Amino acid sequence: MDKTIVKMIEEYKRHINDRWEERMKRHASTHRVEDITTEHYIQINQVFLSLIYAHISEEYDESEDKVVQFAEQITKSGWDLSYITQGLQTFRRTLFDVLFENMSVNERAIEVYQQVDRWLDPLMNKLIDATAMNWEDTVSMQKVALKELTAPLIPVFQNISVMPLIGTIDTERAKLIMENLLHGVIKHRAQVVLIDITGVPVVDTMVAHHIIQAAEAVRLIGASCILVGIRPEIAQTIVNLGIDLKQFPTKSTLYSGIQTALKMTNRQIVELQKER
Amino acid sequence: MAIRSCIKIKSEWDIVKARQQGRNLAKEIGFGIVDQARVTTTVSELARNIYLYAKTGEITIEPIFDGEKKGLKITAKDNGPGIPDIRIAMEDGYSTSGGLGAGLPGVKRLMDEFIIQSKENEGTEIIVSKWLR
Amino acid sequence: MRIPILKLKDFLLISIQVELDDQTALQFQEDLLNKIHQTGAKGVVIDLTSVEMIDSFIAKVLGEVVDMSNLMGAKVVLTGIQPAVAITLIDLGITLKDVPTALDLEQGLAKLEQDLEE
Repeated sequence: MDKTIVKMIEEYKRHINDRWEERMKRHASTHRVEDITTEHYIQINQVFLSLIYAHISEEYDESEDKVVQFAEQITKSGWDLSYITQGLQTFRRTLFDVLFENMSVNERAIEVYQQVDRWLDPLMNKLIDATAMNWEDTVSMQKVALKELTAPLIPVFQNISVMPLIGTIDTERAKLIMENLLHGVIKHRAQVVLIDITGVPVVDTMVAHHIIQAAEAVRLIGASCILVGIRPEIAQTIVNLGIDLKQFPTKSTLYSGIQTALKMTNRQIVELQKER
Repeated sequence: MAIRSCIKIKSEWDIVKARQQGRNLAKEIGFGIVDQARVTTTVSELARNIYLYAKTGEITIEPIFDGEKKGLKITAKDNGPGIPDIRIAMEDGYSTSGGLGAGLPGVKRLMDEFIIQSKENEGTEIIVSKWLR
Repeated sequence: MRIPILKLKDFLLISIQVELDDQTALQFQEDLLNKIHQTGAKGVVIDLTSVEMIDSFIAKVLGEVVDMSNLMGAKVVLTGIQPAVAITLIDLGITLKDVPTALDLEQGLAKLEQDLEE
């Protein structure tokens, strides 16, 4: 960057900064930054500005980490990416305003534009890359978290296990559920598995198809399935959609499912006579 | 690193050979037990199709990469009679050989990607792939 | 290659330990039917615990073995189908709908005994 321009910027730094902060305040509501304290907001603005100035000289290479750090801070605070993009755009505009108001460089205007672009554009790219990386990390973390939510198989009696399904079932999850289910059946030597769909919000043709497939696979490895937790609205959709669930028993509650399961394994619950 | 392997299908025994190769490579790439079974079964179906309809042909099994994703590609190629109507062959329960008719549509469900090209009296090429989850 | 068929009282027990190629599968079909004929067995348990893969051909042979044995008066139970094999079969669209199954050899035998009592 041209030394005279750098000198000019240094000279009017305070002026630029003040005006920048003033302009940023007007956009504050769009960056979802209302929830934080004013001191925190000012502090982050300061970090942002010093990061921008740090990039003014091209030799400055220690700033790489700082860019990543800053992006992390922004994502963690739950701010929009627009804080960064708008911040840089506003900075560029403010800078030109201040420079051209105060210096007679209009004949060098194009040169100034180019130099400032060369200064700010790479920083913009770096910041956006870093933020995007942060988002990708968050998304993949959430994917892992969702995987962990995938249905466990719980043994309730000897040879009887329950698998409660909770949440929306997509193809990916259905595959995981099926694997958990089958390995659980082998592990617990379950003869009857109750699949409880109380926690499944919508049962459409696709979800029903996944459940039927799971039940068929369970039968192949040598156990039986009972579908329980069928709410009235789900019974209605199943029949209205013409889905055939007749191949395996269905019950409205887990309780009646367990009774059927006990019957299938030649057992029943009896009340003990009270001793007087 | 796993390398590509190519198996000529000329006899029933080559079907067994091909699927063992498929299992080994799937294991090496890091597929879980269930996906190993999917790959092995796919190779078996494709190899059997070659043996039944074209008599001879070739199965190629190779690792594939897309950025950080890893996967496995299986190519089945023959110069047999070809499939007159692919649409019908892809329907569940369709079979001209007295099989279960689960072959091609089944293979499509076992894999992530499925491409088939066939010309009557010239031959058939089926390319399928499976990505590591 | 031949798959050994064991006799236990009224039952025949088969544990398939080898990779099933087409020839072996067909040979097994023939051997089993002959054995049922010789022994008058009332029930058959085919244990598939060690089988790592069942494709549509082998599934078809197994389904036919079950039907043929039933015709000869012997009830067949398939046991020990592995989860990976079951999932693959479902993907292929094969459910072996009318074939009785059990978790393992022991439960398979129990199932046969129970069915024959009724």
